[in-house]
Amino acid sequence: MTQTLLNLLAIAVPLAVGFASLFAFTTWLERKILARIQNRIGPNRISLPFTRFRRLFGLIQPAADGLKMLAKEDIVPRDADKLLHLLAPILSLVPPMMVLCLLPLELPYATAGMRALQAAALDNAVLLFFAITSLNTLAVFMAGWASRNKYSLLGGMRAVAQMVSYEIPLVLSAAVVIMAAGGMNAQAIVEAQRAQWFIFTPWGLAAFLIFFIASLAETNRSPFDLPEAESEIIAGYFTEYSGFKFALFFLGEYLAIFAVSGLAVTLFLGGGAGPWVAAYPALSCVWFLAKIFALIFVMIWLRGTLPRLRVDQLMGFAWKFLLPLSLLNLFVAAAALKLAKPWLSWPVGALVLYGAAVALSRSHRADAAPRTYSYAE
Amino acid sequence: MIEGVAFYILSTVAVLGALLAVSRRNLVHGVFALLLFFAALSGLFVMLMADYVAAVQVLVYVGAVGILQLFAIMLTEHVTGDDLRRLGARGWFWGLMLAVALPVVLLLPPLLNGEPPVPPAAPQSTARQLGSQLMEHYVVPLEVLALLLTGALIGAVAVAHGPEKDPPGKDRPA
Repeated sequence: MTQTLLNLLAIAVPLAVGFASLFAFTTWLERKILARIQNRIGPNRISLPFTRFRRLFGLIQPAADGLKMLAKEDIVPRDADKLLHLLAPILSLVPPMMVLCLLPLELPYATAGMRALQAAALDNAVLLFFAITSLNTLAVFMAGWASRNKYSLLGGMRAVAQMVSYEIPLVLSAAVVIMAAGGMNAQAIVEAQRAQWFIFTPWGLAAFLIFFIASLAETNRSPFDLPEAESEIIAGYFTEYSGFKFALFFLGEYLAIFAVSGLAVTLFLGGGAGPWVAAYPALSCVWFLAKIFALIFVMIWLRGTLPRLRVDQLMGFAWKFLLPLSLLNLFVAAAALKLAKPWLSWPVGALVLYGAAVALSRSHRADAAPRTYSYAE
Repeated sequence: MIEGVAFYILSTVAVLGALLAVSRRNLVHGVFALLLFFAALSGLFVMLMADYVAAVQVLVYVGAVGILQLFAIMLTEHVTGDDLRRLGARGWFWGLMLAVALPVVLLLPPLLNGEPPVPPAAPQSTARQLGSQLMEHYVVPLEVLALLLTGALIGAVAVAHGPEKDPPGKDRPA
């Protein structure tokens, strides 16, 4: 039993520590890339004290940010629900942390016992992933409600509506992969992509795009960052949070991004597969993280270049475009898998999916038009 | 040993959550306590080797039902329960009777037979078995249920939408 506990710790602790340090690196990366897009330099002033190392491209900035957050005053509004106000940031951290353990990251030092432990917990990994990430919504709502602030509550309600809506295309696009792999075990899904990554099939590509868009909305990333839209509702559900509680929300958000990108890599991009993995198995972990960071780079890129959606456009996009398309994609995938003729499934599948996407966007063109308001000019 | 500890922790959390859910005056607190109960229950399912049911428990009850309840509560007033209006409910007596009667009824037959019930062997892949059962043996009830839920959904949209339609893309005039 002691051995089992030790093995569990040997899996959980590196994940928690490793991804938390990757979070620090990602904040730096995001600020640098955004700065590059906006023709600025970005953080570059902080240096390691008492050393010759000056600047280091601002890589020390996250440490300084962390220290600042720790030293800040923790303000709780007088009318806030004290207990829930305290619990919300903690709850926002728990689901992404749990979900990271479900990713088929092959830790380089893992022994046979640890592998068995991981595999035993993972038979319904994908389902468990969606189940646990749906708890994030609760944390956001809890924060919005407990703050007793109208902007917080508005942000919380927006977040709930958005996350509930986009969860459906997210799950439906993952269902395609479950169909193809014949199971929900993360390792088995990676194994099923040994010959061909699922993104290189027409239904897989469509599912990946839907999954990626929906995951942007699930993690409240731009252009779907309406729950925290600064220009409209200050900071949304975490308006009334300061100091380290704010940092916890930040950490939770980034861990959720890691988790959902990791799931996208597992489902569509072949997990840890890559060149030279057969010779050096430790490389699979590196490839996995590299693919995650490629996805995160695209997310940052989108944040730097796309404007925020309007609320009605956001909901319309999920229900009128993504949902029908992912339903159609289920049928296309089922037909392609049943026929098993790649030379036929590529042109037909791509044509059907592309045609449906064009037709759907044509039929909802009116939704994108400027609205007329009766109360405002 | 470790199973015993986990069982007692989960059971205590479940019972506490259930008690809090019915005793809190604040509705939002009540819902969150109920969700705590659901989460502990899914932990108990894991201990019964029913990991699929546990995942569905979290997905459906904690994720969907909880959010739905919070939404519904947000549409009502007097959420915090500070006002002094109270319903004189005398349901606690029957609730207590039921709580006592249920374990007795469930445990009486095996006790009378004189042997404790034998737990069935844990199935290997629960999701696969459930899926094939649903698609082969229970396919007609499944389809009927799906039709019923679709009907309910369309009905809810029709009720919420109301008889007249506003022109799209325009606010209603004041």
